[in-house]
Amino acid sequence: MSHPSFPRAALACAALLLAASAAQAEPGRLLASQCAQCHGTNGAGPGFDELAGKNANDTYDELIEMKYRSNIEGIMDRQARGYTDAQLRLIADYLATLPGNGGD
Amino acid sequence: MSQFDRRQFLKLAGALSAMAALPKGVSAATVAPRVVVVGAGFGGATVAKYIRMWGGNVKVTLVDANPNHVSCILSNLVVTGDLPLSSITLNFNSLKTNHGITFMQGTALSIDAAGNKLTVSTKTGNKVLPYDHLVLSPGIDFVPAAGTWNPTLTPHAWVAGSQTTLLKNQLAAMRSGDTFVMTVPAAPYRCPPGPYERACVVADYLKRKGRTGAKVIVLDANSGITAEPEAFTEAFEVTHAGWIEYYPSATVESVDSNTKTIVTSAKTVSNAKVLNYIPKQRAGIIAQSLPLNSSGFVAVNPLTYVADGFTNIHVIGDSCAVPASDGKGVPKSGHMANSEAKVCADAIVRALSGQAPDEDIATSSACFSPITNTTASWLSANFIYGDIFDVNGVVKGKGMHRVDIGEAPSNNINQDSFEDMYKWSESLFADTFI
Repeated sequence: MSHPSFPRAALACAALLLAASAAQAEPGRLLASQCAQCHGTNGAGPGFDELAGKNANDTYDELIEMKYRSNIEGIMDRQARGYTDAQLRLIADYLATLPGNGGD
Repeated sequence: MSQFDRRQFLKLAGALSAMAALPKGVSAATVAPRVVVVGAGFGGATVAKYIRMWGGNVKVTLVDANPNHVSCILSNLVVTGDLPLSSITLNFNSLKTNHGITFMQGTALSIDAAGNKLTVSTKTGNKVLPYDHLVLSPGIDFVPAAGTWNPTLTPHAWVAGSQTTLLKNQLAAMRSGDTFVMTVPAAPYRCPPGPYERACVVADYLKRKGRTGAKVIVLDANSGITAEPEAFTEAFEVTHAGWIEYYPSATVESVDSNTKTIVTSAKTVSNAKVLNYIPKQRAGIIAQSLPLNSSGFVAVNPLTYVADGFTNIHVIGDSCAVPASDGKGVPKSGHMANSEAKVCADAIVRALSGQAPDEDIATSSACFSPITNTTASWLSANFIYGDIFDVNGVVKGKGMHRVDIGEAPSNNINQDSFEDMYKWSESLFADTFI
């Protein structure tokens, strides 16, 4: 419910401004959305390991380890090979900013 | 909105004074931009959802002939009776309530590209939908061979729903010594591993039911197994040895659904118990009103999925043809449709605020294929935007270059992968429809 004394027009304008800021894509958002098919929208499940809100360096290090591991141990070792190191950095940094559900 | 405190008020006041600086398309004087999406499968539902998530004040209308979507993913396990049809029937409730998408049940009839309008046939008559951007994600249409093909007698079950149930019932009626004949269409077709997966789980079903002497005959229009060749060769020759006969380079010449007879360049089968003829494919019907390439699909810009020759008509998923390196095409799959939908959604959101599309993009496909009712394999393919190459390795333009592909190593074809298949599908279903 909106505050009764607050003008509705102002709320509408605020919504529009939020729309405008939403339109300014954050770096990594589109790349990280490619994780969602298996890790849930915004990396917050359901599915495989929750990715949202984890330490960015830990996520990045894990992705790099999977990408350069010589023997394929699972499907993520292949998926990690689908991105440049710079893209993996953007993905890890972006996922770290998301709230998640506190799951593993 | 709940209680506003002073800090929020000041932030909002600042926002109000910034209104004049808003880019075109979201200014207060402009009505919300309109995006119309045709087809509520993995491509269409995802693009609708992500435009609403990322685009703010955009009116999104999602059009589909059916009130829910029945997933092809996992549908082979419905054919074998391992899963109920309800487990792959996905509703649009969350898209409507949580994401504010308007759903219209109807069939897209025609596009007025100059007038930016789509006409939809509905139960209450034709409706005209004006749009700023139109996204077509209508899946596939079939190109049957000569003869008398009737899919209500010989199901393809390559669009899930009543076809899946029909094939399930026909399989259940098989007895010892009966023959199940199926085809693999010439590439490109929907879900490259899908036909081989079906052969495996049908053979596994017949074996488990003790249908002695029954067999699965696979007539492949391609020169060999097109996806996961190691896994499916092992499955055909070892795991299901004696239950599957595989014939490559079997071009279908004619089909008779009444006598369940199929004539191919490699083998003819008459009076099959089940004829699962999966025809060659092309772009879904509404997309056929756009120019088609020689394979029958719509060539698109890989950064925006805008169809060649247009500015605001996008095609994603099975209907589109993405420029790619020779021999390294982008597969048609639900996972890939979801992937492309996000690139398309981001490009539309950017276009609506006057921004150029992102070029630092990647798309992917990943899937798990059951080999038996307890084991599965997997396949992974990844693409990055950049130079694409001809067969000689010479740059031929820009597109989605396949940077990696691989199937499960043999020690990954096991029960863990079968369980992972359900994690994958649960997540993919949710990312698309919830």
